[in-house]
Amino acid sequence: MTAATGPSDAGTIVARLGEHRRRERITFRLKSLGMWVLLIGAMIGFLWATGNIDTEFIATWGPYILGGAGITILLSVVSIILATILAIFGAMGRLSRNPYINGVASLYVSLVRGTPLIVQIFFIYFGLPQVGIVLPSIPAGIIALSFNYGAYMTEIFRAGIQAVPGGQREAAQSLGMQERHVMSRIVLPQAFRIVIPAIGNDFVAMIKDSALVSTIAVQELLWRASQVGTQNFRSLEALLIAAGVYWVLTIVFSYFQERLEKRMARGDR
Amino acid sequence: MNKWRRFVVVPIATLVLAACQGGAAEISNLVCVGEATTYLDWLNGDFEPDEQGEIAEAAEAGDLLETVRERGTLLISTDANYEPQSFLEPDGSFVGFDIDVGTEIAERLGVEAEFMHVDWDAITAGSWSGRWDISVGSMTITTPRKEILSFSQPYYFAPAYLAASERSGVDALDDLEFELPDGGEATTLATDANCVEAIEAGRTEFDLVITSGTVIDGAIEADSPIVKIGEPIFTENLAVALDKSGEPHGALLYEIDRIIGEMHEDGTLTELSEEWFGEDLTQDPSGS
Repeated sequence: MTAATGPSDAGTIVARLGEHRRRERITFRLKSLGMWVLLIGAMIGFLWATGNIDTEFIATWGPYILGGAGITILLSVVSIILATILAIFGAMGRLSRNPYINGVASLYVSLVRGTPLIVQIFFIYFGLPQVGIVLPSIPAGIIALSFNYGAYMTEIFRAGIQAVPGGQREAAQSLGMQERHVMSRIVLPQAFRIVIPAIGNDFVAMIKDSALVSTIAVQELLWRASQVGTQNFRSLEALLIAAGVYWVLTIVFSYFQERLEKRMARGDR
Repeated sequence: MNKWRRFVVVPIATLVLAACQGGAAEISNLVCVGEATTYLDWLNGDFEPDEQGEIAEAAEAGDLLETVRERGTLLISTDANYEPQSFLEPDGSFVGFDIDVGTEIAERLGVEAEFMHVDWDAITAGSWSGRWDISVGSMTITTPRKEILSFSQPYYFAPAYLAASERSGVDALDDLEFELPDGGEATTLATDANCVEAIEAGRTEFDLVITSGTVIDGAIEADSPIVKIGEPIFTENLAVALDKSGEPHGALLYEIDRIIGEMHEDGTLTELSEEWFGEDLTQDPSGS
C-alpha cells in the first residue's frame, strides 16, 4: 500500500481484487466441471456407440446390485468404528513405556501392515475354522477389515497423540492430574480433533477395500455385480453399475469428510 | 456392384472354408473346466467314480439330524452360479433344480430350507466347519471325495459332454488334432459355467469346455456361441453330500437317503428334472 492511496481507496481495490479472484475461481471450477461432463459424456457415448450395452439388463438387475450398497456401507461403518477403538489402544501401546505392551502393539502393527488384506480375510474365514473358530462371512469380513484398518490407524492415532503439544500434558501433570486422566481428559480429546479428518479419509478408502470381502461370499456390491454379470453374460454392465455406486459413495463421503476437516481446522486458527 | 460383391464374397468364402478344413490345427489343446470338478479329474486321468454303498440306520441322539430339527432349518450349500441347477433371480432369490430338490428334502424333514451360495471348491474340500449341513449341489460321487464326505444315493444322473466354441469350427471329435483326455491340457475357472461365459464374452484362450450336458443345453438355449460335441464322455451319479469332519450325521444321512428314494419313487424328481432340464435325468443309466 502506498502513501498516495487513502484507506477507503485501498479498501475498494482490495474488495475488487477479491471479487475478481472469486470470479476467476468460479469460472475455473465451472470449466473444470465442464471437462468432467464432457469426458463422462464421451465415455457413455463411446459405450453406447458400441451397441453392446443392454439397457434391459440394467433395468432388471440394477436394483439387485444396488441393494449391495447397503451391505457395503454397513460393513464399512461397523468396521471403521471397531478399527478406531483398536487404533486407540494400539496407539497407546505403541507410545507405552512398558516394553511388553509396546511389543504387543508394534507386533500387531507390523504383522497387519506387512501382510495383504486379502490374505487376512482368507485367514479369518478359511483358516481359523481349522482351530475351531468358525465365523459366518459378514462377521469374518468385519473383523478382517477392522483388524487391518486398526493397524494403519494406530499409526495415525500415534501421530495425533504426539502432535498434542507437550505443554498440555505438563500443565495437566502440574495440576496434579493422574497419568490416565491426563491421557483421557487432556491428550486424547485434542488428539481426536487432529485425527478425525484422517479417519474420514480411511473410511472412504474402506468403502473401496470392502469389495475384497466379496471373496468370502458376503453379498455386497461387488459380489452381486460379478454373480449377476457372469450369469447373464453381462459383466460390463454389472461392473459399471458397481463401479458407479462405489464412485458415488466415495464422492458423497469425501464431501462430508472435507467439510469435517474444515470444521476441525477452525480451532487451529 | 455385383462385380465388387463377387470379389469380396469369394475370398471370404475361401477363407472360411480354409478355416473349417484347416481349423483343427489352430485349436488350442486347452480345455476349460471348473475348479475341483470331476471334469478336471478326468482330464488329469484321476477320475474315480464311486457309489455311495450301504447306508445304515443310526440313532438320532447326538446326531446332526437332532441339531437340524432343534434349529428348525436345514442349511444347504449350492454353487451360486450354475444354471439351470442354481442361479440368481432379479429379486435376489435363487432358483433351479438343486434349489427345488433341497427345498423338498427340507420340507420332508419337517424343517425350513436355508441356502448358502459358496464357491464350489470350498464345498468339495470338506471341513465345512458346520457353516452348512448338507450340499445339494449336483456333486459326483468319487473315491477321493468319499474320504472326506458322505453321500446319499444319487438324485439324478447327468452326462458330461465336451463343448466347443462356434468360433473354433469344431463340431466333431475328429476335428481335434489330439486325443482327449491325453492331449488336452486343463485350464480352470471357479466353476464350469464360467468357462461357457468366458467364450460368450469373447475370450479366446480356449475353445473347448467339459461340463455337464445340462449346463451346455442351458447355455445353447440362451444363445451361447457353443456347440455340443459327440457322445457323453461319462455319466455322473449326482448326490447329496455331508461333511465327515462335522458332527456325527448317520441319522441325517439315513433320513435324506430315504427321502431321496421316496422322491424317486413318487415321481417328484422326474417332475423337477423335466421342469428344469426338459428331460428325465433321474433314471440310473447303468440300470442298477
